[in-house]
Amino acid sequence: MNSVISCRGLEKRFGRTAALDGLDLEVGPGEIHGFLGPNGAGKSTTLRIVLGLARASGGTVTLFGRDPWSEAAALHRRLAYVPGDVTLWPSLTGGEAIDLIARLRGGTADRRAYAERRARLIDAFQFDARVRGRAYSKGNRQKVALIAAFSTPAELYLLDEPTSGLDPLMEVVFNREIDRVTKEGATVLLSSHLLAEVEELCDRVSIIRSGRLVESGTLTELRHLTRSSVAFVHVPGQEARIAAIDGVHDLVVDSGRVRFTADSDRIAGVLPELGLLEVQGLTVAPPSLEDLFLRHYGDDPALMGVKARS
Amino acid sequence: MSLLGVLLRQCVRRDRVQLALWIVGTAALALMATTAVTTTFGDLAEREGILRLTTVAPAILMFRGTPNGAEVGPFAFFLMCAILGVLAGLMSTFLAVRHTRGDEEAGRAELVASTPASRLLPTTATVIHGVLVNAVLGLAIAVAFLVSGLEPRGAFVAGAAIAACGVAFLSTGLVFAQLFRSSRAANAAGVAAVIAAYFVRGIGDAAGEPSDDGLHRTPLWISWLSPIGWAQRTGAFAEDDLAPLLVSLGFAAVLVALVYAFQSARDSGASVLPGLRGRDRAGPLLSGSLGLALKLSTGAVLSWAAGAAVMGALATSLTPLVDEIGSDVPEVALRLQQLAGAGASLEEALTTTFFSVIGILASACALQLIMRARQEEGHGTAETVLATPVPRQRWIAEHGAVALLGVVVVIGVAMLGAFAGARSADDSAGMSLDAAQAAVAQLPAVLVYLGLGLLLFVLVPRVMIGVAWAALTLGAFFGVFGELLGLPDWVHDLSPFAHSPVPIGDDVDWTGGIWMLAIAAVAIGVAIVAMRRRELVAAG
Repeated sequence: MNSVISCRGLEKRFGRTAALDGLDLEVGPGEIHGFLGPNGAGKSTTLRIVLGLARASGGTVTLFGRDPWSEAAALHRRLAYVPGDVTLWPSLTGGEAIDLIARLRGGTADRRAYAERRARLIDAFQFDARVRGRAYSKGNRQKVALIAAFSTPAELYLLDEPTSGLDPLMEVVFNREIDRVTKEGATVLLSSHLLAEVEELCDRVSIIRSGRLVESGTLTELRHLTRSSVAFVHVPGQEARIAAIDGVHDLVVDSGRVRFTADSDRIAGVLPELGLLEVQGLTVAPPSLEDLFLRHYGDDPALMGVKARS
Repeated sequence: MSLLGVLLRQCVRRDRVQLALWIVGTAALALMATTAVTTTFGDLAEREGILRLTTVAPAILMFRGTPNGAEVGPFAFFLMCAILGVLAGLMSTFLAVRHTRGDEEAGRAELVASTPASRLLPTTATVIHGVLVNAVLGLAIAVAFLVSGLEPRGAFVAGAAIAACGVAFLSTGLVFAQLFRSSRAANAAGVAAVIAAYFVRGIGDAAGEPSDDGLHRTPLWISWLSPIGWAQRTGAFAEDDLAPLLVSLGFAAVLVALVYAFQSARDSGASVLPGLRGRDRAGPLLSGSLGLALKLSTGAVLSWAAGAAVMGALATSLTPLVDEIGSDVPEVALRLQQLAGAGASLEEALTTTFFSVIGILASACALQLIMRARQEEGHGTAETVLATPVPRQRWIAEHGAVALLGVVVVIGVAMLGAFAGARSADDSAGMSLDAAQAAVAQLPAVLVYLGLGLLLFVLVPRVMIGVAWAALTLGAFFGVFGELLGLPDWVHDLSPFAHSPVPIGDDVDWTGGIWMLAIAAVAIGVAIVAMRRRELVAAG
């Protein structure tokens, strides 16, 4: 009921292709919500609809409980947006663009607070604000949008793959800012295909594929669905006994090692069995979002191709 | 060598459509103009009259060339050389920048430079590509002149003159691509160079020494500073002297050597002149979306206004001269009167004619400013603005308002230019009033184009730029030249410019203007309302 963003059965068609095909998405207040999916899954389209820049072909969408298409401008007072591919005005400097976006957003009312945050962010992101827009690299263009977003207060931060052009040092700055704004009570929707980023930052995750929600929940909830990867040195003749262990899946022998996956909540039962076999060089990898991804996309070669290219 | 071949093929492939259109268009213009010479200025005496007129009113030569005899060949070259030179120059400087700085800016050049092609070979390919393209252009122009019935030797010399002119501007464009960091700055400098070359030779022609019979003219030395001046010096269809083209080619060779010197010394992506550093903070203008629209449009408005000011000044300053010789050459007077409508004095006719051109300039300005909104949308920066509390409808209405302001500035500046030009006239006040009326009379047609631009933006964003320019070109052609070309009335009436009030004589009919104002208002209103339901449409 109190969702910040609520999409039900959201559809978006471009001609005959359906970019969104009945998407459900709920983002509650104060959450850092990870929005995961491969390129082309419909993440940016969803954000554009939530922003009222594009109109849904079907389904319902509310932002702060209101219609983002018809009340776009009023709703935009409450949010800050960082597009996936930031473009700047060629003739304006980075500093001018930051000020312009912040002023348009109405975020400079408290001049001193704005000036202080802006100066701190420019310093932290090591950003040169006097260069003209056309001369910035992708990472620097992204910094403009991030500095403009984080130097103005907002209830909701919509971030579309915000760190894809940033180096690791700058990601630390980014994570710190996310931490700051959520402590101040803001909600964050962070779209990404970077699993590590989402794992590190987010409380809840929604995973989409081909314009549909495939999984949504807290990381702990989703980890129940994943399996740990187990591997050890292959000794011929053991295969049948391993396969018989309860909870073992996808057994393969590959370049001298036995590999299988095991349900994370059954792993404690599997290990004593392996001990009886006296296996060598045992590794158990905890489930990661990578596995979640592979489970959801790995079964479809066409989608794997998409993922590999992106 | 095969590496160079690959690069060269890539150049040709990328440009084939664009250059084919440019070359065919330029050659077609040469053909049409030459044909027009034989049909409209059919007999020798008429052409002699026109040429002698220039001894009295040399300012006309700014827009023509060097008089070099009244036979059809030299007369056609007199009419067309400078404008063909400008077209070849623009084509070449854009080509040069597109394949060098443009690629560097887009990052493609780095990809190519990382292969064995390295940093210099793409430039070599561009030079060869540019020279070949100009050779084809020269050939096409020679064929055009030949087809229209002129003698082969002169046609060949004329083609060679234009080609050499193009090569000179190719090298100029290449140098600018080295100097500037962005292709936008390099292109701007290239266009400025071509326009400067046009006017330098114009001054040379206007201030030159006429021969005793008034049919020839020796340009001032200053023409030797312009690649277009060198082309004119060939005296095609008369002297047929190829020697001045050695200057063009020598000039190009020196500049190309300079380009290699620059490029061998600099980093890929860097420029000889450092990019200027700008402001750290935004000024007060950039405090809202209207301020942004204004700031983005200032450059375009200034350049259209500059052109309009010159036209406005000519509209009134040329009239005394034309009036003076009006009785000598009745066909000129007749032609102007035909353009302006019946019952006009020659001054009024000339002023109105110039202001109808100013109306076209202002319409182009209006369309360009509306297209700015589309460019913002395609580029992605509109999304940044519309993701803030700026409503879609207000955003497009602001772009419309800026276009309106731009149009008023362009027409207003033209009017001021006309006032300045009228100061030396006998009846300065009367002429200024005529000019003011003629200026105001342009507004309705211009606003129709403004409304059309907005409608196209809202309804068919993907094709709006092409459609809008086509609508303006056709409207200008049908409206201003329709009657002269003997097109049927209904074709002429399709053009908004055909309905502009003609403030000449005692009873001025403003109904056309009022109707157009109403149409414009409806178009603008519909566009803004329809924007409510319009999504952002990405580039494509």
